[in-house]
Amino acid sequence: MSHIQPTATPLEGAVPARELSMTVNGRFLKVRCEDRHLLVEVLREQLRLKGTHIGCLNGDCGACTVELNGQPVKSCLVLAPAAEGTEITTLEGVALDGELGPLQMAFWDNDGFQCGFCVPGQIFAARQLLASSTDPTDAEIRAAIAGNICRCTSYQTIVESVRAAAAASRAVPDEAEKGT
Amino acid sequence: MIRTALRYHIPDDLDEATALLHTHQERTAVLGGGTVLVPSLTRGERDLDHVIDLRRLGLGEVSSTADGVRIGASASYAQLLAAAPFTGATRLLQLAAEGITGGPQIRCQGTICGSAAYANPSSDVPAVLVALEAVIHLRGPEKSRTVPAEAFFLDAFTVDVRRGELLTGVAVPPRSACVGYYKLKLAEGSWPIATASAVLPDTGDSLIGATVTLGAVSARPLRLDLDSLLDGHGRLPTAGDIDDWVSGQLGEPWDDELAPGDYRRMVAGVVLRRALQRAQGN
Repeated sequence: MSHIQPTATPLEGAVPARELSMTVNGRFLKVRCEDRHLLVEVLREQLRLKGTHIGCLNGDCGACTVELNGQPVKSCLVLAPAAEGTEITTLEGVALDGELGPLQMAFWDNDGFQCGFCVPGQIFAARQLLASSTDPTDAEIRAAIAGNICRCTSYQTIVESVRAAAAASRAVPDEAEKGT
Repeated sequence: MIRTALRYHIPDDLDEATALLHTHQERTAVLGGGTVLVPSLTRGERDLDHVIDLRRLGLGEVSSTADGVRIGASASYAQLLAAAPFTGATRLLQLAAEGITGGPQIRCQGTICGSAAYANPSSDVPAVLVALEAVIHLRGPEKSRTVPAEAFFLDAFTVDVRRGELLTGVAVPPRSACVGYYKLKLAEGSWPIATASAVLPDTGDSLIGATVTLGAVSARPLRLDLDSLLDGHGRLPTAGDIDDWVSGQLGEPWDDELAPGDYRRMVAGVVLRRALQRAQGN
């Protein structure tokens, strides 16, 4: 267990706050947060997990996507105290022992990453899709990534990356089970 | 960052939740999926002191039985889609949930009941609930009550929820029918500009008894009984006549940043016809 002190500057006046316990990337943590903090703010500013990006803060772009209790969610839409007791995987938790996972490698090999800002949403959306389908159609891939906005408009290479990851997982079934 | 000194509550039972709501009503909001409330707080559009999270109230159920479908206030669209396929008219719930804007993340977070309580005209859920003659379940500090969906949606962003009440779930009665859902939006990430929920009798080719409920084209869902439109054999007139009839039924169309009211009036008939086609194909 780790106890991480907040790095954000406390605001003036009495702001409701609490200690928050959650498991992040397999590690049980306690952090202090204000009730009004968003989960994305706690992940980035207090846990320093900068792989989770802040884009629109409106639930549109998907750049702040994490897995919460196994489901992809936009962490700008989650009040931090609501994450009490949850298990969270951020983009940093997708890489295996610091190495890119198979899905990330497929993005790398197929130029799915361009500026990289939308990567959290694309990766977690693809990960959920590939957990249920090892041979998705392009239409299914497009539907799966529909909650993410790529400002580089790299959608075609993202679809190709997910398709390649699916093909790789079929060739190596163990990789499909890892879903990464 | 949310700029107000918000206090987060997560009550363990309904009595505690309704007492909190009753005490802090004007400065409080109920937190369901958070997909609408949280960004509105971030943007500073809502200035609240308290939010009440429903997660520990045991309202996460989705059940489908011979008595119909029940959906708890905390149940997400993803839960609805993960359930076994609904039958009859209730299938419409899953057809609409499949296309909720925002991708799998929003379907994992957003809730049917939250959308009902928000009552944004440019959304899917209100018209679907009216089409299915759903019943809204409410719990107040002293008693529970139910409201038919048709009466629940009073106006744009206005619902029949009284001081201290919270929406605990919706119940959709069983009904043998063929259903079709069609939604018009001009971008993948857009809220709908027009929706149509067609509910057809599942006997023969006659459309007598068929209804189509239009959403996003008026402040409240508009439920249309097609009988007056049909010929003596229960058949539809030409597409142009349908569109003219729908336009005449519409009254004052909803007008927002997505589309002007005149545009919605023009497309309403087309959207209705496409929902009918889908229902006839199901």
